[in-house]
Amino acid sequence: MDEVKRGNAVSRFFRVLGKDLREIGQTFVQGDWKTKISFLVMGFGQLCRGQIVRGLAMLAMEVGLLYFTFGFGWQYLSKLLTLGTVETHKEGRVTVYGDNSFFILLYGILAVVAILALIYLWRVNLRQNREAEGLLARGKRLPSNRSDLASLLDKNFDKTLLALPVLGIFIFTVVPIIFMICIAFTNYDVTHQPPSKLFSWVGLENFKTLFGIGGEGFGGTFFYVLGWTLIWAFFATFLTYFLGMAVAILINKKEIKYKKLWRTILVMTIAVPQFVSLLYVGKMFAADGLVNAYLLKWGWIKTAIPFWTNATYARILIIVINLWIGIPYTMLIVTGLLMNIPAELYESARIDGANAFQTFRKITLPYMLFVTGPFLLTQFIGNLNNFNVIFLLNQGNPKSLQLSKNAGATDLLVTWLYKMTINDSNYKIAAVIGIMVFLVTAIISLVVYNTMPSVKDEEGFQ
Amino acid sequence: MKRKKRITNTICYVVLILMSIIWLFPFVGLVLQSFRGESGGMVAYLVPKEWSLKNYQYLFGGDGKFLKWYGNTLTIALFVSLLQTLVVICVSYALSRMRFRGRKALMNIWLVLGMFPGFLTMICLYFLLKTLGLTEAGAVPGLILISVASSGMGYYVCKGYFDTIPKALDEAAIIDGATRAQILYKMVIPMSKPIIIYTALVAFMAPWCDYIFASYVAFGYERGYNVAVAMTRWVWTNDYQGFFTRFCAGGILVAIPVTILFMCLQKYYVEGVTGGAVKG
Amino acid sequence: MKKILALLLALVMVFALCACGQQAAPAPADKPAEAAPAPADKPAEAAPAAAAGTLKIWVAEAIVDFTKDQVAKFVEAHPEYAGYEVTVEPVGEGDAASNMLTDVEAGADIFGFPQDQLARLVAADALIELSEENAALVAAENDAGSVAAATMAGTVYAFPLTSDNGYFMYYDKSVISDPSNLEAIIADCEKAGKSFYFDLRSGWYQPAFFFGAGCTLTYDTDDAGAFTKCNIDYASENGVGAMKALIALAKSPAFVNGSSVSNATNAAAIIDGTWDADAAKEMFGENYACAKLPTVKINGVDTQLGGFGGFKLLGVKPQTDEAKLAFCDDLAAYLASGEVQLARYNVVFWGPSNIAAKADPAVQADEALSALGQQLAFTVPQGQYPGEYWSLAEALGDDIIGGKYNDADDAALLAALQTFQDTCIGYAG
Repeated sequence: MDEVKRGNAVSRFFRVLGKDLREIGQTFVQGDWKTKISFLVMGFGQLCRGQIVRGLAMLAMEVGLLYFTFGFGWQYLSKLLTLGTVETHKEGRVTVYGDNSFFILLYGILAVVAILALIYLWRVNLRQNREAEGLLARGKRLPSNRSDLASLLDKNFDKTLLALPVLGIFIFTVVPIIFMICIAFTNYDVTHQPPSKLFSWVGLENFKTLFGIGGEGFGGTFFYVLGWTLIWAFFATFLTYFLGMAVAILINKKEIKYKKLWRTILVMTIAVPQFVSLLYVGKMFAADGLVNAYLLKWGWIKTAIPFWTNATYARILIIVINLWIGIPYTMLIVTGLLMNIPAELYESARIDGANAFQTFRKITLPYMLFVTGPFLLTQFIGNLNNFNVIFLLNQGNPKSLQLSKNAGATDLLVTWLYKMTINDSNYKIAAVIGIMVFLVTAIISLVVYNTMPSVKDEEGFQ
Repeated sequence: MKRKKRITNTICYVVLILMSIIWLFPFVGLVLQSFRGESGGMVAYLVPKEWSLKNYQYLFGGDGKFLKWYGNTLTIALFVSLLQTLVVICVSYALSRMRFRGRKALMNIWLVLGMFPGFLTMICLYFLLKTLGLTEAGAVPGLILISVASSGMGYYVCKGYFDTIPKALDEAAIIDGATRAQILYKMVIPMSKPIIIYTALVAFMAPWCDYIFASYVAFGYERGYNVAVAMTRWVWTNDYQGFFTRFCAGGILVAIPVTILFMCLQKYYVEGVTGGAVKG
Repeated sequence: MKKILALLLALVMVFALCACGQQAAPAPADKPAEAAPAPADKPAEAAPAAAAGTLKIWVAEAIVDFTKDQVAKFVEAHPEYAGYEVTVEPVGEGDAASNMLTDVEAGADIFGFPQDQLARLVAADALIELSEENAALVAAENDAGSVAAATMAGTVYAFPLTSDNGYFMYYDKSVISDPSNLEAIIADCEKAGKSFYFDLRSGWYQPAFFFGAGCTLTYDTDDAGAFTKCNIDYASENGVGAMKALIALAKSPAFVNGSSVSNATNAAAIIDGTWDADAAKEMFGENYACAKLPTVKINGVDTQLGGFGGFKLLGVKPQTDEAKLAFCDDLAAYLASGEVQLARYNVVFWGPSNIAAKADPAVQADEALSALGQQLAFTVPQGQYPGEYWSLAEALGDDIIGGKYNDADDAALLAALQTFQDTCIGYAG
């Protein structure tokens, strides 16, 4: 079924493209001279017909994009296929830098994006011309400059609102992501570092290295780290969730006084920046830290507990410390939601003689699970990439000879790839792992999302 | 019956008190350490043998570096908080109230983009910022730009909240001749105080903990550091022997404004997370 | 179809960005073109007074003010360089190296770094070789080990700054009765409920045991800084002996992994370097004492622990401008000269590498430096190691500390060391 769908999508794409090309042809053949000139000078037709605002906008964008692409981008774009050939060399002791593969790739991508934007604008420009001609031919008036501008605050308000955010995301999120995906297909690492060394395209080489196809590879380590990442995300999400719910219900009990005080105490962990609290907590559990010292002093233990050096202890401790961070957060959310559950439900349950546990199981839990489904999913995905907790507590250690590439027993995929970029400048492999992280996240989200009752019934709880 | 109830209540209180101790313990430790007078390194006891303000004096006195870092962070936090809230409101309003071509696609693409690990793009962003001249001495505006530029993707919670405002109100306003823009700032914004405060609060808190990208962007230029970059050095590098108590003192100073703000606005925070996060 | 107007807004932003980009971006591409004719047009000596620009120095926090003073002194004595604006930033030596690797062009012109980073920096072209005069001067005035540390494949790449980057033992006289023997030290620590600190998981400290037992681990490099060969014999009887000693140490309740005085909460003895001397003095108070590393029983024989002797270096990054290169050369040479090394010792107690400065009575009388001097006889000058080696050593250390080999027999230990050795060899070539 998917196959059919995809086939449809492809054929639809070509149908639309074909229709578009035909329309462009018709625009040229049937259009007047103003429209024809607009094929080259964008906005010309609009200007001639008095739509000054649109015309100027089009013209300015064309000039700007062309200037960007050819004035600035071309020097990079032209080398995109090789990523540079001019080597750095020395004249005497003075260094003369050659091509910089990094900038070629980065600005090359920007230039490609600019060209795509130009093509799109060009198409819009033609459509405007055609429409304007059509309107005039039917004896109608064109929208005035004033109404064009006014529509930006009303009918087209969405464009006004979204323009800057979309542009920002494009330049500072989309382009870097495209860049990093490209890096996965190059040999950019410590021995190929710009500006003095060039890097180049290597195809699927890095993926083969990761999975050990035709070489030793370190696929074993990858799956080990992936395994722990999933275990961690599972426990970090669900333990926090259920314990947080328990705490919320506890504080919410009618008989408990000073509700606000208890909540405020717990909520401190959200307010204090993690780099302060987690670094301190991490040090507390050091072999010679506060916890061990007091346990020894009180005679509860004979030798220090190796909290951070024993892989199993370290993993358990990290999950436990994460409870310290996560419980307050869940507690807040659940507290808010508990108030939404109709009191009559509880009342009737009480009359039926249900005990506290039964009411929880039959009323509270199902409601919570239904309502917090999407929240749990975002929490889970957030935990897959929970850099701070791992890195601030023990940097993914302990390592082991059984693991390659600097990985440790508590490393998540994200902390592992961070180490690769920072310690080893191994950008190519980090990029490959980044793509894997993306795939894992995407697959999990997709599967969970599609089986979630609250998503299937989106309007249900509005 | 009554006795049983009293016992359960006592158990509840005991649990709560125990939890409070565990939750507060690290903060009490931080405060006590920050007032420690004897050597500045790590120690394995809680209560200082000698009380002193010298750690705070160091931070406030001398070359004023700490104040500079603190100022940087505060500047970043304020600007990010303001601009990010603005961006998020704009995006959420457009996605929640307006129907336009490509709306679903846009939301899906953003969802997918969010699944790429951000660390990968750090080096790329660094060079983009460098091209714009916004690294080293320009680190503060650079960090603001990066935080704000991508903030549109964080529309999730806010849009969820806007969705709960009845559409009928919009329609009535349109019949009365209001433009979309007027609906936004005359009607939706005043009705969304909790979520706006929530967004601003979350945005304000994030820059205080940015110790990785900020250190990339400042690239060794000390006056461009934020507190997190400067203070993690005290713990992680060997150049700063005996800075642990200073770290604790600095940590307290960092925690104070954020905590106070958080405590004051806690009500809105709860409304925000429950109103928006859960609905989505 | 008025979305265009909205797009206008978007595009205006693009242009704003591009316009900014225009000014800064072509710099890397254009610079060489501008710089290239310079040497042809005017020899550096011809118009030195016209030279101006900025120069950035990265050094450890402790010597920032000292370096600023010295730079001011130097510029005063050399007015031809007065046009340069020199900034000194505190960037720790490890950070300096990784920053230089991230972005050489934005990095410092002169920067201090530990010698183990030399190969990486050379491989990334973040260091320029010294001029012939400076290289000859460095070789003549500094101790042999430090010169070797700054040299790769016959080329001198940096100025030796200190010759004290080795380790020895600080201890508490009131607890440790016999500092010459590890078993006795551990026994004293256990009795007193105190700890012995040794950074078992660091690739720098860990070889103290292996080298002491007679093992070797060195790498050969080619001119470009690439590793060509690994000379290692850890997977041997000696290696297994050293490993057993490490395991025995890690098992002791008195053992704590660590090498930073200010992170140690309960130390009676710590293996550490001169940079922690002040902190150690403060911690041990009147019981402060230093000694060379102790002996340990390896395969039944009392063996002196060995290890690395290390050095701090000062490097200059490749320059595209002849005049600035000359300034960098002269300034770095000055900052690493014997006179400045001695002055630096007097401020922060960094042990000089300069032979004349070393002979100074104040340096001679330094307790920590003399312990280091005694240890020097048992150490090998630290050569070049690939970056991966340091994390591999951490992996071995973590396995030992984590108790993975506590019940292992000799064959299992040998197998583990074989893995270690093979991985080390894998990093070369």
